[in-house]
Amino acid sequence: MRALKRFFVRMQNFVMSRGGDERLREEMAWHVEAQTEELVRAGVSAEEAHRQARLRFGAAEAVREQYHAEEGLPFAENVLQDTRFALRQLGNSPGFTFIALLILALGIGANTAIFSLVNAVLIRKLPVVDPKMLVRLGDQNDCCVGYGVHDNGDYSVFSTAAWQQLRENAPEFEELAAMQSGFESQPITVRHGGAQQSAHPAIGEFVSGNYFRMFGLSPAIGRLFSDADNGEGASPTAVMSYQAWKNSYAGDPAVVGSTIYVNSRPVTVIGVAPEGFFGDRLSSTPPDLYLPIASAPALANASYEHDPAANWLYLIGRLKPGVLLPPLQVKLSAELRQILAPVRTFSNEPDRSRLPKVHIVLTPGGAGIRSMNEQYSLELHLLIAISGLVLLIACANVANLLLVRGMGRRAELSVRTALGATHSRLVRQLLTESLIVAMLGGLAGIAVAYGGTRILLAMAFPNARGLPIPASPSPVVLIFAIALSVVTGTLFGVAPALMAARTDPIDALRNGARSVAGGATLLQRGLVVTQTALSLVLLVAAGLFLQSLNRLQKVNLNLDASNRYIVHIDPQAAGYLPSQLGSLYRSIEQRFDAIPGVAHVGVSTYTPMELWNDSWTVQVQGRPDLQANASYVRINPDYFASVGTRLLFGRGIGPQDTPTSTAVAVVNQAFLRKFLKPGENPIGEHFGAGPSHAGDYEIVGVVDNTVYTTVQHKDHPMYFLSLLQRPATDKGPIDEDYDLYARTIVLETGRPITNLESLTRRTLASINPNLAVLKFESFDRQISDQFGDDRTIAELTTFFGALALLLAMTGLYGVTAYSVSRRTNEIGIRMALGAERLHVVKMVVRGAFTQLLFGILIGLTCAVLCVRFVQAILYEVKGVDLTVMLAAILPLMLGATIAALVPALRAASIDPMRALRVE
Amino acid sequence: MKTKKDVQPGTLALMVLKTLDVLGPLHGYGIARRIEQISGAKLFVNQGTLYPVLLRLEQEGAVDSDWGPSENNRRARFYRLTRTGHKLLETERRDWEQTAAIIARFFEVKAEDLA
Repeated sequence: MRALKRFFVRMQNFVMSRGGDERLREEMAWHVEAQTEELVRAGVSAEEAHRQARLRFGAAEAVREQYHAEEGLPFAENVLQDTRFALRQLGNSPGFTFIALLILALGIGANTAIFSLVNAVLIRKLPVVDPKMLVRLGDQNDCCVGYGVHDNGDYSVFSTAAWQQLRENAPEFEELAAMQSGFESQPITVRHGGAQQSAHPAIGEFVSGNYFRMFGLSPAIGRLFSDADNGEGASPTAVMSYQAWKNSYAGDPAVVGSTIYVNSRPVTVIGVAPEGFFGDRLSSTPPDLYLPIASAPALANASYEHDPAANWLYLIGRLKPGVLLPPLQVKLSAELRQILAPVRTFSNEPDRSRLPKVHIVLTPGGAGIRSMNEQYSLELHLLIAISGLVLLIACANVANLLLVRGMGRRAELSVRTALGATHSRLVRQLLTESLIVAMLGGLAGIAVAYGGTRILLAMAFPNARGLPIPASPSPVVLIFAIALSVVTGTLFGVAPALMAARTDPIDALRNGARSVAGGATLLQRGLVVTQTALSLVLLVAAGLFLQSLNRLQKVNLNLDASNRYIVHIDPQAAGYLPSQLGSLYRSIEQRFDAIPGVAHVGVSTYTPMELWNDSWTVQVQGRPDLQANASYVRINPDYFASVGTRLLFGRGIGPQDTPTSTAVAVVNQAFLRKFLKPGENPIGEHFGAGPSHAGDYEIVGVVDNTVYTTVQHKDHPMYFLSLLQRPATDKGPIDEDYDLYARTIVLETGRPITNLESLTRRTLASINPNLAVLKFESFDRQISDQFGDDRTIAELTTFFGALALLLAMTGLYGVTAYSVSRRTNEIGIRMALGAERLHVVKMVVRGAFTQLLFGILIGLTCAVLCVRFVQAILYEVKGVDLTVMLAAILPLMLGATIAALVPALRAASIDPMRALRVE
Repeated sequence: MKTKKDVQPGTLALMVLKTLDVLGPLHGYGIARRIEQISGAKLFVNQGTLYPVLLRLEQEGAVDSDWGPSENNRRARFYRLTRTGHKLLETERRDWEQTAAIIARFFEVKAEDLA
């Protein structure tokens, strides 16, 4: 208490720079006077009395100093003094300051930018009440709609019925909420108000009535869901995300209570979710609308909502306080087995035998569903490692600069030591200087990070809409940057400070310029070797990723993407029944054909190089059952021409292939290789899904292999069917055959058409205002999107590799130039004694290259040992091959040659007479 | 050769407090002289060291100071004990006596007592 009070008084004195100097002086003067008078009264002579009085008082200066120390905060004063001095010193050498700040700003900025990504993706919790109490049921990111069981019985996606029963039987949860697992891949269409408005694509997520209550959220306006909204027969309602409300409605409060059309069905908006809430998971396309699970069948034809065998929901619950997880996990698993026992999934082998293994793993739910987090985890860790390496190199570099500076300041430090500065005081002063450099660098780094984060986000999520990762640094990120600066400053500052402060005043004052040994210290050379090694590791990494990207892009896709465009639509969302699709497809073909410049109009279920795949088992009639799958695409007659697939023989799908004619198929070469013998004529053969369907389709033609889904899928067996043909064995009502819905229109134009996108929107809206363009992309773009992540990684590693190379070479140059300047004298003598210029050049270059070679050796060893950490994201690249090695070493050699030659030539041009005169 | 004893750390403050307690408000010189008188010739104090101690006590709130006329009618700074100072003196005194008692007991102890 007393200490605290005293601290405040001192602090106040310090801040107000209030000195008691005047008071002390007066008191001291009076004190000595009083003592003198007393002595005089005792009979001492005036002069002697004054002398004795001062003697008894003691050393006035020491008292004053002590008094002063008691008065303020001497430590803080020292720091301030050091800071002022350091700033002056830095101002005196603007060159050093600029280079050091630049290096640090880049290093700290890059790390901060990457940290803000890491913070958002790997660390941050959901912006909900008390996220610690949330628990997710399940640890897998299985998606969308599943009917199977994992071999090990691990459950992470659940049916509606399973959720309801778990919820009823688990009083351990305050709330157990359910949410759609695969909303990202199933966009909805939304139309506001009247018929003159056209529909536009949006993201909707089906959630349970207690979803918002479980997260503890309150609405921005209106209300959030209650259990009644999710009841059977409740009129459809929706909660809008804050961002959609701001973007599509300009924050108009009248939206509450209004009717919108979701997939062409009327829905009442009841409220807006709170600001900052981006759903239950990090997504580059967060939901615009939240819809009750019970409305899924009506709004999205999701018949699986009622199906106890269809798993489509993730579950997150809020625990009551004091609930222990291990017993809860056992209990929930047992309950799930009971719930699933009567479900048809477990009525047949092999799934029946898996029932006893069925279990749930409870995982922390505070960060929500971590699918994106896990997807990017490896890449992010790689980026952390890479940017960390760059920062290390930057540290080594600045340390080197400081060492050089410290040598130059020997004389100054010696003088200060001679004048009585203690060793620790000098170290503290030098450390202050490096910390200030680091802090200033950190400040500049935050600016770099701000721009860097934007670039990173744009690179990593090119198709994001409303990505919930802010580019502006959050408090956590700022704290990280500052902490990083301090650590950096200490890291690169300690050694140079200790070295520089260890001066012997006599030695330095005795003029140390005439030393021959001189040159760079072992520490300096070691730092250069470290930098070289680290930058080589980064260059090798960049080489590997570039090689991998190159191999990916070199895969012969057999696709000609020029002047081709892919339009994604959803006729089901627009309200079409399968029986109405024939006339829709005819209108699409006719209306688009009528657009001037459009050469071919393809309609299909999906297109090459997009993340979609329909596949089924194939059995060729009269052949053994291979138990193998092939992918299939339903297409219109013009599809092959529009997408640029070559017909090799036979015929394509034609207008004659109507729902009433024989069902036909066109297969690709991989299909032939897989299911038929070489050289066999496939035309006229029949195949189908399984033995009982083997006569379903007649093969009428063969096309070239083209790559669907992803590059890794090349040479995959495929067959193409007519859009509306159903095999004779398929006797179900046509209006339940969701397989007939096309999802894509392919347009091939003879020449580039600039306004094709708006033309497309208008054309579709003229057919039906509910027909929204979910996505319009050039075919080129669609293909390159598939390489997006690989390209981002390759570009980033190349960028960081180049940065590291630049830093390392600056370091090498600095040390070489420094040792040359230190040895000016020695070189002058050598040349005066007859050494040739070439010899001098060789001597300097040899020194530089020795360090380089050590660096390369160490770096290569590290790189080769570390490849396995990134093997998983490399495509057909196994280990470091000679190309990559050379590609990494050559720029290093080139840089080093320049870094060494410049000072070497300067050394060779030394005039011996001048050199000897240098002091 | 017998030397004068240096002041033990912390005890000077206690002496100052006790002096002010006994004699009431006093200026720095007065305190210094009183301490010299009481401790006799056994203690060596640089009178000047008193002032940082006084400042410290003042910052802690144990003493208060103000200008006032001295015996020879000159301006001097007078220090007096505050309520906090009285309390502080009391606790310090108790601590000191306790310490002294413990140390004393150690000196009194004989080997047979510990057997």
